[in-house]
Amino acid sequence: MRVLTGADVEQAIRTSGGARVHVELPAKFKAGDRVVARNLHPLGHTRLPRYARGRRGVIDRDHGVFIFPDAHAAGAGQKPQHVYAVRFSLRELWGPEASERDCVLIDLWDDYLDPA
Amino acid sequence: MNGAHDLGGMHGFGPVEPERDEPVFHHEWERRAFAITLASGFLGQWNIDMSRSAREQMPAAEYLATTYYEHWLFGLERLLVEKGFVKPEEIEARVAELRRQRAGRAAES
Repeated sequence: MRVLTGADVEQAIRTSGGARVHVELPAKFKAGDRVVARNLHPLGHTRLPRYARGRRGVIDRDHGVFIFPDAHAAGAGQKPQHVYAVRFSLRELWGPEASERDCVLIDLWDDYLDPA
Repeated sequence: MNGAHDLGGMHGFGPVEPERDEPVFHHEWERRAFAITLASGFLGQWNIDMSRSAREQMPAAEYLATTYYEHWLFGLERLLVEKGFVKPEEIEARVAELRRQRAGRAAES
């Protein structure tokens, strides 16, 4: 077991890794692809917001490969996969009374998405 | 999980009012809760997603009635107990001790 001592704090904070994984993996989607967020309701941790489930959006850009939080939180390893900024119109998320011109960009993992 | 943490789209919380010159911590215990959480993370016994998941385990009504660092403290206590670093009775005993100290100070003043 590691123990953090006072002298090591600064270095440890500076170098502690993010969630990006440096491996080459095929992407399921590319910018411009139409997608639908899966209607998932896992009992464990997820970063797919409830308000986006079942909603249709467009891949805005591919951020690269990252740890999949749902698996990682469950102690099931990193399950690395592509994460995309997905653009949803406000009307798709909040109905016909929402602003017509605005949108929400949500970072979503491959496992949250199906082609639409 | 479909918990109280997934707030997007919920009504009834009132306006978001940004604080002028907002301090990083509003109370000294928040600074300590933050530091202990990060230091404990370096034990390598859990990852950041497990930390977030642990915070989400707070009962929904309690979650909505408590603050950000109260969520952090709840999650940390849960992980420390789960991994066997501390027993729930030890946390309870410490809370009781601090309560007694505070009551003592209040009686003196």
